[in-house]
Amino acid sequence: MNDAGMAMDDSDGRGGTGSELMLDPKVQESIGRSLKAHYDDIVNAPVPDKFLVLLAQLEATEYRAVGASPDERN
Amino acid sequence: MSATEFKDGLIKEIPNLRAFAASLSGSMQLADDLVQDTLLKAWGNSEKFEPGTSLRAWLFTILRNTYYSLYRKRGREVQDSEGTYAERMATHGNQESHLDLADFRKALAKLPEEQREVLIMVGATGLSYEETAEICGVAIGTIKSRVNRARTKLAELLSIGSIDDLGPDRKSAAAMQRVGSEIVGL
Repeated sequence: MNDAGMAMDDSDGRGGTGSELMLDPKVQESIGRSLKAHYDDIVNAPVPDKFLVLLAQLEATEYRAVGASPDERN
Repeated sequence: MSATEFKDGLIKEIPNLRAFAASLSGSMQLADDLVQDTLLKAWGNSEKFEPGTSLRAWLFTILRNTYYSLYRKRGREVQDSEGTYAERMATHGNQESHLDLADFRKALAKLPEEQREVLIMVGATGLSYEETAEICGVAIGTIKSRVNRARTKLAELLSIGSIDDLGPDRKSAAAMQRVGSEIVGL
C-alpha cells in the first residue's frame, strides 16, 4: 500500500483532512442529496400505531405505579 | 421530566429512529423491531437521560448498541432474501436526485457498516461530527475519515464520477481512479 493508501486508513484514529483524496464537490453533493432522499423518505413515512400504543401503555403503567394520574402529576 | 414529557420526546424521535434503524439493518421489518427494543430500553433507563442534552443522540446510542449486540446477524440473514427493503421503501418519495433511490439503497447496503452508519448520522440525521463520534465511541478524525471513505466507495459503487451529467473534470476523474484502485487494495 502506498502513502496515499495509508492516508485513507483510519485505524490510527487521526484521519486528518489534509492528506486525503477528496471527491469532486458535484459528486459529493449528489451523494448528499441521495442520502437525504433515502433518509427523509423513511422519516416521512407513517409511524406504525403499535409504537404509540406501546408508549401509552408504558406511561399508564408508570402512573399506576406511582398512584397518580397524568393530570395530578403535571 | 415527567413520564408524559419523556413519552412525547420519544414519539417525536420515532421517525428518525426508524430511518436510522433501516439504514443500519437494511430491512424495514428489522428496523421496527429494533425501534421497539430501543423505546423499551429508553423507557426503562429514562433516569439516565440528562435533560438538556440531545435525546436523539442518546436514543441513537441505545439503538446502535442494540443493533450490534442483537441484530447484526439477523440483518445479514434478512438481506440475503433481498428486495423487500428497497421495494417496500421506494414507494414514498418523489426523487429529484439523479440517482434512483432503490439503486442508491442497494449501494448503501454494500458499504461496510462502520462507514454506512457514520455517513447516515453525519449526512442525514442532523447529528454533528462530535455527537456522531461520541455515539460511536471513536475520535472525530476517525469519523471524518470514515465519511470520506464511505462517499468514495459509494461513488465507485454507483459509477458516478464517470457519468456525464455530473460532469467531473479530468483532474477529479483521475483522482477518482486513484482512490478506486486504493480501495480495492484495502
